[in-house]
Amino acid sequence: MRILIVEDEPRLQRNLVKALREEGYAVDAAGDGEDGLFKAGSFNYDAIILDVMMPKMDGWEMLERLRKTKKTPVLMLTARDGHTDRVKGLDNGADDYLVKPFDLSELLARLRALIRRSTNQTSSKVEIRDVMLDTRARTATREGVPVILTAREFAILEYLAVHRGEVITRTELYEHLFDENDATFSNLLDVHIFSIRKKLGSEIIATRRGQGYCIE
Amino acid sequence: MIFNSIKWRLLLWMAFLLTVILASLGVAICHIHLADQLRQFDDRLERQVATMSAALYVPAPTGDNTGGPADHNNAPPPDNQAEDGFQLPPDIERLFGTRNTNSYYFVLWLDGDVEAFKASANAPGDVTRPHTAVKDAGTRIRERGLYREAYHVTERGDCVLVGRTAVPEYDEAGRFARLVFLGGAGLLGLVLAAAWWLLVRALRPLEKITSAAMKISSGDLSQRINIPDTESELGRLAAVLNSTFARLETSFAQQKQFTSDASHELRTPISVLISEAQTTLARERTPQDYREALAASLDAAQKMRRLTESLLELARLDAGQETLHRDNINLASLVQDSVKFVRALAAEARVQIHCDLAEVQISCDASRIAQVITNLLTNAINYNYVNGEIRITTRREGGTAVLTVADTGQGIAPSAIPRVFERFFMADESRSAGNTGLGLSICKAIVEAHGGSISVTSSLGRGSAFTVRLPV
Repeated sequence: MRILIVEDEPRLQRNLVKALREEGYAVDAAGDGEDGLFKAGSFNYDAIILDVMMPKMDGWEMLERLRKTKKTPVLMLTARDGHTDRVKGLDNGADDYLVKPFDLSELLARLRALIRRSTNQTSSKVEIRDVMLDTRARTATREGVPVILTAREFAILEYLAVHRGEVITRTELYEHLFDENDATFSNLLDVHIFSIRKKLGSEIIATRRGQGYCIE
Repeated sequence: MIFNSIKWRLLLWMAFLLTVILASLGVAICHIHLADQLRQFDDRLERQVATMSAALYVPAPTGDNTGGPADHNNAPPPDNQAEDGFQLPPDIERLFGTRNTNSYYFVLWLDGDVEAFKASANAPGDVTRPHTAVKDAGTRIRERGLYREAYHVTERGDCVLVGRTAVPEYDEAGRFARLVFLGGAGLLGLVLAAAWWLLVRALRPLEKITSAAMKISSGDLSQRINIPDTESELGRLAAVLNSTFARLETSFAQQKQFTSDASHELRTPISVLISEAQTTLARERTPQDYREALAASLDAAQKMRRLTESLLELARLDAGQETLHRDNINLASLVQDSVKFVRALAAEARVQIHCDLAEVQISCDASRIAQVITNLLTNAINYNYVNGEIRITTRREGGTAVLTVADTGQGIAPSAIPRVFERFFMADESRSAGNTGLGLSICKAIVEAHGGSISVTSSLGRGSAFTVRLPV
């Protein structure tokens, strides 16, 4: 899952990026509305975390402009908790709303829920054959036995599971698993897939030659 | 209750007063009318009595008709001439024959007799001779129940009485009274209707004012009273209220903006603190990670400290609680101290400070004014270019001490100039760590607390000049 954080306070931005990366997300950051809008428009993020009060272009304006082209789920962060602000945010196309100062665990839970909703998932648990993925705890079990996955392996599995039945191209997988700061090599993906198949059975991910990967 | 409204109270009072006035007027008119009726009636009665008396005592034409009442006047009737032989002239005699109870009746007493000598057929049976002494000769009126009678007693003691029932007069007075009553009631109704119309018209602006004020008190501060006639009393009241409402709205909006800005500025460092701590505690870290997290937390906490101190200071200055410890101070030496204080910062930024200081003694709170000067100097350094300059001057203009801090820095965009003293306004928008956006607001508050003023001129890319004027 790849997330865009648009936040002008540098310390908070850095901290959020760090926290989300540790949760296994690929994270990009923008320091103002203009940069944020450019990044949000040039890539299909799985979700955007958007601060309201920003220089150059504030969160409302960026959201309004973004909504003309993209339906990316947006979680608004604001220091204003006025009722009208909340209504305004949701009316203008924000998908969720969090008031500063927020609890990091709440932010993460809301982000997970936002992504689940946007991909029509109802639960944080996904069952694939004999494998159970818990996207909340970020753990996997096979026939009830816990299986240790690396963050990347889990991210690949999660992305394919969320888009179950769809064939995901290698490019799309790259884009959603690695952020702008990652140096990516295509054979790395093959290594991760190989490792997942070794741990959870080779039939869990199907390879469509020349197209990509798929969980059926 | 509806009758407590001004409209109803005015109307009821008006109705009450009008009723009293009209009723008294009506009673007076009816009274005068009745009196007039009776007077005219009395006149007629008197004329009748006079006619009768004259007819009785006029000397009879010479001839056989002796012994008639004609000579009665001159000489007492001879005893031998019996009273029953007394003859009345025929036309008078005819009058005595009237039977109509509504027309005049006549009674005649001779000498001092109590028994009537002659009474007309329609005279009521209870007519008695008026108790009038002979010497009280003349015509008099008496009222007997519904009858009114006029009588004349001659010097000889004969008495002629003419009477008639006054019922037609009373009836007429009653009709007149009814007419007056109906007219009065109609007039009252008309006047009250007109008064109501006027009251409604006159009080309509008041209702507008009330409804606008109600909407404002329930939170809609954008409401205004719309009264086209601005010259009337209520129009002027509405104008005054409107300007009050406008000031209220502005003040509320400013307050709201300030609270909102303050909450945003305070919550951002708190967010940093919380998320920094939560992220760091989520798993085992290296000592380097912990150091970084602590440094970030300290930074956020210090930003909060600066903010809360500035906010408190502003709040105290706003409330007028900050007492100024005034001393007689030389502004030039105050500036020199401040320049010393920022010398290191200026050197680091490679900015030259030039002083052109004339000695001016002012009465001020030295630490407060030093704070203003330091703040202006710090801004001049922070927004300056490398190798830029700052020129600080003091001089006296009449009763005013003038301090100018001019820099060769970035300057302020013309659109931002009117807002630089606003709270939380930051012209360059990038929030540098040390900037609260309150510095200039505090300067302004301090200078104004001293009875002075602060202003700025600026040209973008070439520098700004802040001028502080303080009373000596």
